[in-house]
Amino acid sequence: MAKELPIVPTAVPGSSVETSAAASWREYRPEVRESQKVNREVVLFCPDGAISIEKETVTIDLHICKGCGICAVESDGIVMVPEYTGVSGVFGVKEGNK
Amino acid sequence: MNVKINLDQLPKEELFGQGNVGCKGCGGAIAGRQAMKVLGERTIITIPASCMATLGGNNRHTTWKIPFYHTLFECAPAISSGIRAALEAQGIKDVNVVSWGGDAGSADIGFQSLTGAAERNEDLFHVCYDNEMYMNTGGQTSSQTPYSALTTNCTVNGKKTNKKNMLKIMEAHDIGYVACASIAYPADLMAKFKKASSRKGFSYIHVLAPCFKGWGIPSDQTVEFARKAVESGLWELFEVEDGVRTRNYEPKLIPVKEYLTPQKRFSKITAQEIEDLQQQVNTRYGKVGK
Ligand SMILES: Cc1ncc(C[n+]2csc(CCOP(=O)(O)OP(=O)(O)O)c2C)c(N)n1
Ligand code: SF4
Repeated sequence: MAKELPIVPTAVPGSSVETSAAASWREYRPEVRESQKVNREVVLFCPDGAISIEKETVTIDLHICKGCGICAVESDGIVMVPEYTGVSGVFGVKEGNK
Repeated sequence: MNVKINLDQLPKEELFGQGNVGCKGCGGAIAGRQAMKVLGERTIITIPASCMATLGGNNRHTTWKIPFYHTLFECAPAISSGIRAALEAQGIKDVNVVSWGGDAGSADIGFQSLTGAAERNEDLFHVCYDNEMYMNTGGQTSSQTPYSALTTNCTVNGKKTNKKNMLKIMEAHDIGYVACASIAYPADLMAKFKKASSRKGFSYIHVLAPCFKGWGIPSDQTVEFARKAVESGLWELFEVEDGVRTRNYEPKLIPVKEYLTPQKRFSKITAQEIEDLQQQVNTRYGKVGK
C-alpha cells in the first residue's frame, strides 16, 4: 500500500536556514569582544541557534542572527553594535546603545 | 528520579531553530531549541495553530530537522495519539512523540483533546509554551493571561479574572508526570524534558516563554523576564512525579513589582493589586523576600 502513495514535494529538513531573512531585519549586531568571558548558556538562550562555542572560540552566524540582543544581555563579552556604521558615523549612535 | 543535565555534553546539532521565521527574541523558539537539545532526532512533534507552528516554516522550507506536523488547533494531542498507535503497530519503540501547543492550543481551544489524551494515559507528552496571550492572531486574552494584563481585547483596565491553573488541572488527571519550567533555567527545563521522554504514559510540561511584543518589553529582555517571573515567586518551578511534589528552585523573592511594572501590559495595574499579588506570594512561600 505504502508503495502506491504519490510522491509529493515536501520541505527539505532544516532548509529555512538557506532562505533566512534575518540579516535584513537587524538593526544591531552582536560582536564578541572577549570570548573567554562569554557565558556558555547563551547558546541555549539564542532563539535562532546563531551562536556556537567550541572550546574558547565563540562564533556568531550573522546570516541567521536577527539582532535581538539577548546574548549581549545574558553574557559578558558580547556587545551590540549598530548595523549601519555609516549612520553611526553621521548621527553619532553610541556603540552598545539599543 | 534524579536527572542532571551537563551543559557541556549537549549535542551541537540544531534540530530546530536556525532560520526560523519568528520574531527576533522569540521565547517560544528558545523553548523549542532547549527542548530539542535533549529530545534528539528520534522525535516526532505535532503543533497546533500558533506562533510556534508558523515559525517552523512555510512552503517547502522548514527549520525542523525532525518530522513536524502542523495540526488543526483543536487536536494536536489526538494526532500525537494516532502517531503513537501507528508506531506501536510497526513495532517502533524508540521514538518520542510530543504535542506542543501554545497557551490557547493547550488550555482553551486545544483543551478537549489534551484532557482526552491525558485521561487515556497515551504514551506521549504535551508541552504548553505559555506566552500568556493568543500571540499569533495579535495578542488576544487567553485563560492563561494573568490578572490585570492588557491585551488587544482587554484594552481599558486589563483582564479582570485570574489565570486558570493548568498545572492543577493536569495534576487532577492523575498522570505520572506534571512539570512547570521557564526558559531562563535551561538545565532545569531540559532535565524535565528528559524525564518526560524517559517515562511511559502521559506527561505534561508547562513552560513560561515570554513574548516581548505581547508583554511590552524590549526584545533583548525575553529571558530576563522569564527569570524575574521565577525570582519574584510568581512562577514556581516544580514537578509532580507519581504524586510527589518537588519545588526545583528556591527563588530569591524579589518584589513582584520589579517583574510587573516594567512590562507595558501591566501599565494599568493598581498599587493595591500589586500588594495583593505580593501577599499571595508571601503566603505561598511562607516567607518574605528582601
Ligand atoms: C479553530 C481555530 N480557531 C482560531 C484559529 C486562529 N488562530 C490561529 S493561531 C491562534 C492563536 C494561538 O494562540 P496560542 O495557542 O496561545 O499560541 P501563540 O500564538 O500565542 O504562540 C488563533 C486564535 C484557528 N487557526 N483555528
Ligand atoms: S542577537 Fe539574538 S539572534 Fe543574534 S546571536 Fe544574539 S541572541 Fe542570537
